[in-house]
Amino acid sequence: MFHLTVAFRFLKEGRTQTVLILVGITLGIAVQVFLNALIIDLQRSLVEDTVGRAPHITASMPDFMPEPSLDREAGTPVLVRVVTNEGNVKPIRDWTPVIAQLEKLGVFKSISPVARGSGFILQGEKSLPIVLQGFDPARADRLYDIRSRMTAGRYELGGNGVLIGTELAAKLRVGVGSSLRITTPGGAADLFPVNGIFDLESQPVNEGWVIISLARAQSLFGLDGGLTEIELQVPDVFSAARWAADLRRGFPGLRWLSWQETNARLLAALQGQGSSSYIIQLFVLLSVTLAIASVLAISVVQRSRQIGILKALGMRTRQVGRVFIIQGAALGFAGSLLGSLAGWGLIELFVSLQKANRAESLTDIPVGWGSIAVSVIVATAAGTLAAFVPARRAARLNPIEVIRNG
Amino acid sequence: MADLELRGIRKTYGTAVPTHALRGIDLTIKAGEYLGVIGRSGSGKSTLLNIVGTLDRPTAGSMLFEGRDLVALDDDALAAYRNRTLGFIFQFHYLLPEFNALENVLLPSRIFQGRLNPAVAKRGRELIERVGVGPRMYNRANNLSGGEQQRIAIARALINNPRIILADEPTGNLDAETGESVKDLLREINRESGTTFILVTHDRHIAAGCDRVVEIEDGLVKRDLRVENFDDDEAWAELAPCNCRELGRTPVRTPVPKRR
Repeated sequence: MFHLTVAFRFLKEGRTQTVLILVGITLGIAVQVFLNALIIDLQRSLVEDTVGRAPHITASMPDFMPEPSLDREAGTPVLVRVVTNEGNVKPIRDWTPVIAQLEKLGVFKSISPVARGSGFILQGEKSLPIVLQGFDPARADRLYDIRSRMTAGRYELGGNGVLIGTELAAKLRVGVGSSLRITTPGGAADLFPVNGIFDLESQPVNEGWVIISLARAQSLFGLDGGLTEIELQVPDVFSAARWAADLRRGFPGLRWLSWQETNARLLAALQGQGSSSYIIQLFVLLSVTLAIASVLAISVVQRSRQIGILKALGMRTRQVGRVFIIQGAALGFAGSLLGSLAGWGLIELFVSLQKANRAESLTDIPVGWGSIAVSVIVATAAGTLAAFVPARRAARLNPIEVIRNG
Repeated sequence: MADLELRGIRKTYGTAVPTHALRGIDLTIKAGEYLGVIGRSGSGKSTLLNIVGTLDRPTAGSMLFEGRDLVALDDDALAAYRNRTLGFIFQFHYLLPEFNALENVLLPSRIFQGRLNPAVAKRGRELIERVGVGPRMYNRANNLSGGEQQRIAIARALINNPRIILADEPTGNLDAETGESVKDLLREINRESGTTFILVTHDRHIAAGCDRVVEIEDGLVKRDLRVENFDDDEAWAELAPCNCRELGRTPVRTPVPKRR
């Protein structure tokens, strides 16, 4: 008990030192909290931009590769026929129970059956390659958020009606009500009236996608009621890989891929950011620890007389050590608490400045209470640890040295 | 009886070139005794006080307090012994500047009990009144004069009702008048409470006012005088000439301080 009193009295009486070190820790932690929030926000918006309106997990049939018919020696020339993927894709059949089962799990934000294939728009002498997206309108809207991003016409699919992107419409100089002639590699060809035009804020999508009803796509590609893909979204994008692994076990007949597996570069970028943030935090913490250790080391020298008296008056070695451990912990705790508040203030300031300039991005950086709590706990632990060496010195101090030398 | 018994206490510093600070001290100190320890610088008297105060361990020998051998105790047990049984008064006062006078007086009790006990706080205030610093008990330690600081140190030494008070040159850093009043205060406390006092001093006026004077020379007890049996003049005659005899001169008669 008493060592607590002594510890706080020492801190209070060493006012200048205490204030200086607290300011130091506060600044360090404030920068840490601020940078951390910034990096988290950056990651969030990056992920949001890339996979927010895209499937997180995609199911398809495993690639089908016929077995070689004869055993051949290596080096023997073989005649190989190269074919496009088209006719080879094996559709997912009996998919309704799969979707029902996925729905029963209740964890997916959206589940969308897709019949997808390539095609060409023929206009005069030109033929434009496109991707025909056979969608269930309600389910696809939940995933891609198309209805609210229509710029003309209606979000309506049925019969031969299609939706096209703004860039494609501009390229073809067509509008709602125009008809497009589309052929598929399988040889099907027909006229497709444009029901509406969308802007999904992605150039390749706006230029390349032609959305059509699921049933029509199935017949166009001869899928016989089957699907090429099932697309899923999970609430937490980063859990996608875990869910994909689970689904692989649950539905071994399908090939499940998460966005992390198909977007390795994005993931690497995110991880790079994450680890750079950890490195910054590590160095801030290291400097906080060293600062506390050096201040306490000075304090032990300055107060060796007091320590000697307290020991002569019967304070035990362990108690003397604790006087300094408590000081380290208190400095770490108070400094990181102040630093977190200051960091939060910095974020607010930054956000309001951003708002004043232009509304884009960083409008609401989340104040990660969890990460602040972690900062405080870690800094307090670091302060305690930093105090160990000075505390040991204090505890080992021989009172006679002090008393003899006046 | 709270006797303190030293048997064959030796203290040697260094191994390569050993310095023998104490070379076998045998001493029995009776409870309530007012003992002066004199000797020239380097005689070993401070080493003896450190050992009696358990701040230092003897190289050999035993030290019994109420039949318990203190040399065998570990550091924590010694800390507790110092806290509960001993009171320290140092030459340089050694109050903690971070605390006020009253808080300084209460230090040994807080070390002992942790929390502040109201009864002890009351006793602390009474002790400060007793040593005559009452009006300044809430002053910071370094806002007190030297005499006041030493009086506060005396009150601090008394707070845990110690059995033995160890004082190292308690008046050494005070002017003559203040030193005199502090000396009288110590004597009064000894008479009132029956606390054993061990005073290390080179001030022969103080030594002359003791019940018993032990002179240390070269790490051994040279003389052990019962001053209480002498009258003032005899005591002075025994004590004052120590330095002069060796110079082959007759003792100079200085005015004898009156014992109160």
